[in-house]
Amino acid sequence: MSTVTRIAQTSQAARAFRKPPKIRKSLKYDVKGLPIPHVKILVRDTHPCRLADHYHTTLQDDLMYMTYNHESGPRPPPRAIRLTYDPNDPYTKNRYNPPVGGSQLGKKPAPPTTAENVVQLEKISIHSMVKEALTSRSNLLGAIAAFRALSGETQFGGGRHSSEGVQIVKGIKTVGGWTRPGLPLGVKVDLKGPKMYDFMATLVEFVLPRLREFPGIILPPASSTMNSPSGVAGVVSFGLPPEAMGFFPQIEVNLDSYPKSYGMHIHFVTNAEGIGAQNRARALLSGFQIPFARK
Amino acid sequence: MVCQLLGCQYLQALALDMFSRTALSQSTKASNANIRRFLATEVDATSTSNLGSNEISRVKKAEGPILHTSIILNRSPIITRTPTSFERAYYAYQARIHRALHNPFPYEFYFKQGSPLESRFNLEERRRERKAFGAPFGLDSSEKNAATELAESSLRDEEEETMPRIHEADVKGDLKNLNRRSQRNIYLLLLQKENGRNVWRFPQVTAEKGELLHIAAMKGLDVECGNHMDSWIVSRNPIGAFHPPVSEAATGTSQKDVVFFYKAHIMAGQVRPDRTHTQDFAWLTKGEIGTRVDKNYWLCIKDMLSDF
Repeated sequence: MSTVTRIAQTSQAARAFRKPPKIRKSLKYDVKGLPIPHVKILVRDTHPCRLADHYHTTLQDDLMYMTYNHESGPRPPPRAIRLTYDPNDPYTKNRYNPPVGGSQLGKKPAPPTTAENVVQLEKISIHSMVKEALTSRSNLLGAIAAFRALSGETQFGGGRHSSEGVQIVKGIKTVGGWTRPGLPLGVKVDLKGPKMYDFMATLVEFVLPRLREFPGIILPPASSTMNSPSGVAGVVSFGLPPEAMGFFPQIEVNLDSYPKSYGMHIHFVTNAEGIGAQNRARALLSGFQIPFARK
Repeated sequence: MVCQLLGCQYLQALALDMFSRTALSQSTKASNANIRRFLATEVDATSTSNLGSNEISRVKKAEGPILHTSIILNRSPIITRTPTSFERAYYAYQARIHRALHNPFPYEFYFKQGSPLESRFNLEERRRERKAFGAPFGLDSSEKNAATELAESSLRDEEEETMPRIHEADVKGDLKNLNRRSQRNIYLLLLQKENGRNVWRFPQVTAEKGELLHIAAMKGLDVECGNHMDSWIVSRNPIGAFHPPVSEAATGTSQKDVVFFYKAHIMAGQVRPDRTHTQDFAWLTKGEIGTRVDKNYWLCIKDMLSDF
């Protein structure tokens, strides 16, 4: 029973308290009166991530087998498409010179299947438009609070300069009588790493099963073409109604504290690209038990 | 046609031979196309079709290998991995940094002032603080009121009981239980008679002529393991191939064998192997498989199995 003893050994408590070292010199203080540590402190993973483990032990192999596309030998070089104007013609030298027939974005071929580029989740982006923010920008506060509770993200959280926290989405262009550039319209937050998998677990286990009449993410009809820019992008998006916000346990505990419920759009961004990328992304998500349905 | 115009006997004979060959291949292609779509993984059906007597010898020479499909039936991990002591120390350290530097918790946003929920949260929070940083932290400085005492007594009543992480199958050494080694990927291995000796191998069947390999794999799973389980074959592509060493003395033929492996998952139920040619079965991890199978077989399958 050596295996049993080995398992038992690893489950012993690993924390031991020693006497803290004597403080010889106090830390410097910044303008706010907070101590400045000697080193740049980064908070990394504080617990093992269940869904990330699931991806690495089970999903990754299966997805590689399912999405494997056999190619014999190296690929032929891509067909050279003529540019609209002769690049050597001095008369058209600085003119915008796209290839004939458009950008061909929807026909971008998928990269060759390897063990390195198996489809995997890169980030989850959640955003919500708050219509009342048009009348008064203070109406955004409820949505910001809800998104912070949902995601647990703050700006520079854990000492990471890349952590942007909950961001305010502003209008880009002028729409007559409705919005103009720079006007705050909604909130968004990007989740990466363990927090992304935690959000996925909450969504799949607490929210989706409790939604009324939710058949799954509705797929486009089978006849629709996949050779569109969204079909080759590897992003799966869907929306949740305002009722769904109350099913997140972080918000369920004090739903009354929020001025109202907010619906949200959720984008699952994967590393899949090229033709059939969206289908590969869907295969990945269905491995995390997100349901899909046809109308 | 053209050859008759030429009138040369030699050329005519040559051309006739060519014509008959092309006609033959065209007819077989056409019949395949009529039946169903032709797939690359299909076992070639031409060797069974009726051929002229002069064709037979040539076909025999070019006889393909015998194709087998084998299924790597996998049970995925059912509980999370126990972290190593290093990982636990690392996570505890990071959690302490996180706890020391986190933003202040907005009590008034989440709890009503003096509610039982708040006093319970405070109590639990003090315990966590004490667990993270040791003695002077998390000590109760405030005077006790009724709500705190109530929370304390209710916490004392609740006893969290966690399920054991080691199943009794591991203690007993039961290799047939699907709950054994629940943190690991385990695979089904059958003990079968091959060339007069018992060998451990994955369930394996021979593909029939004209049968698709992935369909042969599905049928083979039913034949070898019984239909008392829910299973799913992951893909139509084989995940690997094995060329067993040819031993002419044993088989009496010069035909080679090729085994194609397919990955499958077991969701529920249990295997019930056919007792006529299977002596035993076992659910084993990668390391345990390595000690049981032949060396050639092991060198071929080891990269298809999950290390953890």
